[in-house]
Amino acid sequence: MLERRLIVVSGKGGVGKSALAGALALAGARQGKRVLAISMVGDGGGLATHLGAPPLEFEAREVRPGLSALNIDRSKALIEYLILQAGVPAFAAFSPIARTFDSLASAAPAIREIVTIGKVLWEAKQDRWDLVVADGPPTGQIGSFLTAPTTIMDLIPTGRLRQHVSWMSSHLSDPERFGLVLVSLAEELPVAETVETLAWLESMDIVPPPLVVANRILSELPLPARIPAGPIGDAARHHTSLFEEQARRLERLDPDRTLPFQFGLFTPPEVAAHLADEVAAW
Amino acid sequence: MTEAVLVTGGGGVGKTTVSAALAVTAARAGLRTLVITVDPAKRLADALGLDALGSEPHPHPDEANLWAAMVDSSASWQGLARRHADPAVAERLVENRFFSAATGHFPASQSYAAAEEAARFLDAGAWELVIVDTPPAAGGLEFFTAPAAMTDLIGGRLLRLVTGGWLPGRNFLFDRTARPVLRIADHVLGAGLLEDVAKFLMDMRTTYDGVARRSREIEAHLKRAATVVVTTADPAPIREAVRMFRGLPEVAGRPVAVIFNRTLPAEWALAKPTNSTPLLRDNLARWGAEAARQVDLREEFASRYRTQLAEIPWLPKSPTDLDSLAALVDVAEGFDLRSLIPV
Repeated sequence: MLERRLIVVSGKGGVGKSALAGALALAGARQGKRVLAISMVGDGGGLATHLGAPPLEFEAREVRPGLSALNIDRSKALIEYLILQAGVPAFAAFSPIARTFDSLASAAPAIREIVTIGKVLWEAKQDRWDLVVADGPPTGQIGSFLTAPTTIMDLIPTGRLRQHVSWMSSHLSDPERFGLVLVSLAEELPVAETVETLAWLESMDIVPPPLVVANRILSELPLPARIPAGPIGDAARHHTSLFEEQARRLERLDPDRTLPFQFGLFTPPEVAAHLADEVAAW
Repeated sequence: MTEAVLVTGGGGVGKTTVSAALAVTAARAGLRTLVITVDPAKRLADALGLDALGSEPHPHPDEANLWAAMVDSSASWQGLARRHADPAVAERLVENRFFSAATGHFPASQSYAAAEEAARFLDAGAWELVIVDTPPAAGGLEFFTAPAAMTDLIGGRLLRLVTGGWLPGRNFLFDRTARPVLRIADHVLGAGLLEDVAKFLMDMRTTYDGVARRSREIEAHLKRAATVVVTTADPAPIREAVRMFRGLPEVAGRPVAVIFNRTLPAEWALAKPTNSTPLLRDNLARWGAEAARQVDLREEFASRYRTQLAEIPWLPKSPTDLDSLAALVDVAEGFDLRSLIPV
């Protein structure tokens, strides 16, 4: 997985998306790769805390040796997009025209998404990075990001933008270069959403089959014939019932990889560092 | 008058479960109660009697006084267009290819729909208590800022930028090549896209007065409601909870309490196990470390935000019926969840 140029991590909210994205970026950096971690939606707070970094900005900043990070600010990404990819002169890109575009992006379909995924793909093409890991949109929105290039091609028959989206589609469909990771928990709603997303992705056939990861998984605890009273027995029963509940959910999810439950880890960087050990061999 | 409880928090913390538990308890206390949810888990939809999709309140087959409704964003937006625009304009809007895209993409769209539906049911006066399971977007804060954001969107800021400051008739579109904004837009986006968007926005503009008035009414409802924040002891939900406590007082009232879901017994943190197998001792040590982490996190949160704290134990199996939902309120410790119910 770490051999690809670009990895996008998606999952339902609260399943550990930012933790896994941070862990993959850390694991890449530990292997000596020059890594860029990108937060695609929101304020980048989740990714920043897992990397132990201050709030991320639109300019990539090194957060530790070999590992840089940035947060996609849509307005700035749009200006950059207009100048670098759409061929709009810089003076115009900083004029009210750009503000118009920014406002437009909130109403016109696929523009916000194309600018965001366009920025991620553009960074993945740069020679300064060996690996780009994106803390991606939640599974509920991943579809509109992945289909943004084709939506644009359907909507726009001509224009500069159209010329730029076909390379995006080809990058996203190349298993050598692009990997999608779907994280889930072994719980009802995340499993249902992941299974739904997988079926949709298969029907669309726009990206290589994703790697499905089950997070916070317990290992089996063999119980003695007589369970002692008090906390020791309560904790044993608690563990076993959770384990059985998870096993039922995992049967439906059928993950490619599992990550263990992290007991008693206090800080997000600790969690990401532990997970980085797990994902190093993926 | 109808009272409202708004249940907010990050994704995956059990907001819907807590909302349903409060609703069952209120209904059993004799209050005519409506719970509004967004995208519930199947087990909760089943428990609430929401077998069929429907955005209208549905009386529970087995529980008198309990109603449930699911927010349907697109139906809510179509209703909005029909209420606030001329019939011809409304039809044109609903048919416009940008209508579903804009209402689906507008970041606060689902939040606005949920707030609008909640306000509609509060106005109806048919219930004594309405419990709202808020959409997870931005941990629920967006639910409170959505009405203002909505007014802003339709308020013509975008239109002014596209058209240069005055509100045009449809004629301006034929003079579009004169405007540099539109020339560059055509260059980048291809001809026609911006024109379609502009037409759509001009139709939306006609709903402005109605939507602005409605947004103020919705905000007034939200300010009167009691808000609780649900979280687990995980970093992402905690960040959302912090956002609610820091940001909410600016747009609505301060949250009444924070509910920590999936709480482990605090005594596990201190337990010194003896006379058992190493396997079970190690297991308790692991869960004890987790319990200790939870205790620290709760104490830090409570002291920093000086708030009341309720704890719902970590149940290995999620509630799947009305009795187990109601039991959740009974087993909660700390802040009494029943005090949210105005009996």
